Amino acid sequence: MPGQLHLTSKQKLLHAFYYLVLLLFAAFYLLPFWGAITTSLKSSAEVFTTSPLSLPDRPTLEAYVAALNHLKKPLINSIVVTIGGTFFSVLLGSMCGYVFAQYRFKFDNIIFVLVVSAIFLPYQAILVPLFQTIRRLGLYDSVWGLILAHTVYGIPMMTLMFRSFYGDVPKCLVQQAMLDGYGPWTIYRRVILPSTKIATVTGVVFQFASIWNELLFALVLTGYDAMPATVSLNQMMGTLAAEWNVQMAGSIWLAMPVLVLYIVMGKYLIRGYMAGSVAAT
Amino acid sequence: MPSVSVRNLTVAYNKGRTLALDNLNLDIRDGEFCVFLGPSGCGKTTALLCIAGLLVPTSGSIKIGDQVVISDDKKTFVRPQERNIAMVFQEYALYPSMTVRGNMAFALENKKYPREEIDRKVNSIANMLGIEQLLDRKPAQLSGGQRQRVALGRALVRDPSLFLLDEPLGNLDAKLREQVRFELKRIQRQLGVTTIYVTHDQTEAMTLADRIVLMKDGKVMQQGSPKDLYNRPINTFVAGFVGTPKINFLECGVTAKENRPYFNFGRSSLPGSPSLKAKLSGKACVIGIRPSDFALADMSDPEAIKGTVELIEPMGDEILVHFMVENHLLVGKFDAADEDRVCERVAVKVDPEKLHVFDGKTGDRIA
Repeated sequence: MPGQLHLTSKQKLLHAFYYLVLLLFAAFYLLPFWGAITTSLKSSAEVFTTSPLSLPDRPTLEAYVAALNHLKKPLINSIVVTIGGTFFSVLLGSMCGYVFAQYRFKFDNIIFVLVVSAIFLPYQAILVPLFQTIRRLGLYDSVWGLILAHTVYGIPMMTLMFRSFYGDVPKCLVQQAMLDGYGPWTIYRRVILPSTKIATVTGVVFQFASIWNELLFALVLTGYDAMPATVSLNQMMGTLAAEWNVQMAGSIWLAMPVLVLYIVMGKYLIRGYMAGSVAAT
Repeated sequence: MPSVSVRNLTVAYNKGRTLALDNLNLDIRDGEFCVFLGPSGCGKTTALLCIAGLLVPTSGSIKIGDQVVISDDKKTFVRPQERNIAMVFQEYALYPSMTVRGNMAFALENKKYPREEIDRKVNSIANMLGIEQLLDRKPAQLSGGQRQRVALGRALVRDPSLFLLDEPLGNLDAKLREQVRFELKRIQRQLGVTTIYVTHDQTEAMTLADRIVLMKDGKVMQQGSPKDLYNRPINTFVAGFVGTPKINFLECGVTAKENRPYFNFGRSSLPGSPSLKAKLSGKACVIGIRPSDFALADMSDPEAIKGTVELIEPMGDEILVHFMVENHLLVGKFDAADEDRVCERVAVKVDPEKLHVFDGKTGDRIA
């Protein structure tokens, strides 16, 4: 048959071997996830009598209900903080990126390097001053404090990312809009943003995932009221003496939004990473 | 429609070490089709961007109509959007997220025209360019030629007082280029809008321009009508850049015989015009001969130069003959009917009045 690949038996064997290795790796990576799912579907009694990897005898969703009861408020906090933090860091980072990509001004390169160098500051290094600042601002244990921290910490990375995206927007597009009579703000809103939707999606997914999963800032900057789900999940371990099924159900509740986001936006994300390196429009 | 005058325009980079534009002076008349011509990096686009206001020059002033748009002291600077200029970029610069209609209406929306008037204007220009069926498409769904038309339409719809085009045909294939070139000229005539057109293609320049400004290394080499540049190039660069096939250059010594100068190269020589004799005495010079200025001669003619034919290119009604004379490869253009007079060897003569004579050292025109 034309166009079809004829494999010798030796090649077939080799292929089978590749698949076997890949399957082993896949199984290895998925094992904890599998354990989490099976455990979360078991009743509290069953958790202690069976192996974590075995299928539940009588699957039940009671752990999910219990976890949701415990995590209700923290999950709402997480949603507020993540949406707020993502919105402001993407918005401001994209504006900064636009300015650095399309305008030349005095010391622009130095300012850019200063802004971006903040990416390399480890969380731990700024923890104490961050805590003091937030407390002085009266934002301790408030979702606004956490939103502010995530916004500030997200801007450098977003600036870097959006600058590279917007740098690929042909200069003549901006010049054309200038001749058409528009100022920087309208050009950003009506020309740059709509022609780089992939950049925005990439930024949103990136920030959403990192803010949603973040633990350290949340641990330090919140007490009880504004506590997000990551912190609360950790505390479940202490308060509810090792109820593994509830723990696992909580983890899955927590993992869900990011997973869904990846599944829905995944194809944009990959195109986004490519577009950033090759061409934007 | 306004005139444009440019005075001492200079754009310097690297603290004055690199001059992208060196003291440009220019007067473009009202309604004129002016072409900035030159090899890449000669400063033609830089000049255009300065006129558009997208680039602030290091020094110099520009006046569009009666309005000074940038003064020498830079105290006056009219922003690009206030100059009523429309520009077409080589890459078209269509807004990818907007439809063709949106692209064309974008500038008008800013001027706060009523919706009906915008629609009317867009439709009438779209009609004129034959793109009315494309109005609801996005740029990505258009072919190169269609995009080019849309870019043109978007510029025209604004009723600009000055029309700037930066290599607008650069991305089109040869056939389409010819067609759009023709349309462009027709539309420009029809609207009478002052136009500045940037290109490195001398054919485009020759066919479109009322006036060509030929530039090199940020300086104007020569400006004038296409005829001026073709018939009286002021130096070897201009002579070599304008005209296709390219002009032939020969380095010669000059001797005088019976009141008339002779240009000698190797054992061959060409007679020059008697009026030149005084200007030439003993100088080394370069002569330029347009391929079409060669005339076939008899092999027995003592005044003719003889060469070995290397290649004959048939062009339909004309033939291009590449022939070797004294180690110089020359090109002549002849009537196709004369093809049988060109065998292995060829004899040619040149009307002495049609020789372009340049100084051997500076390359400047002597006569």
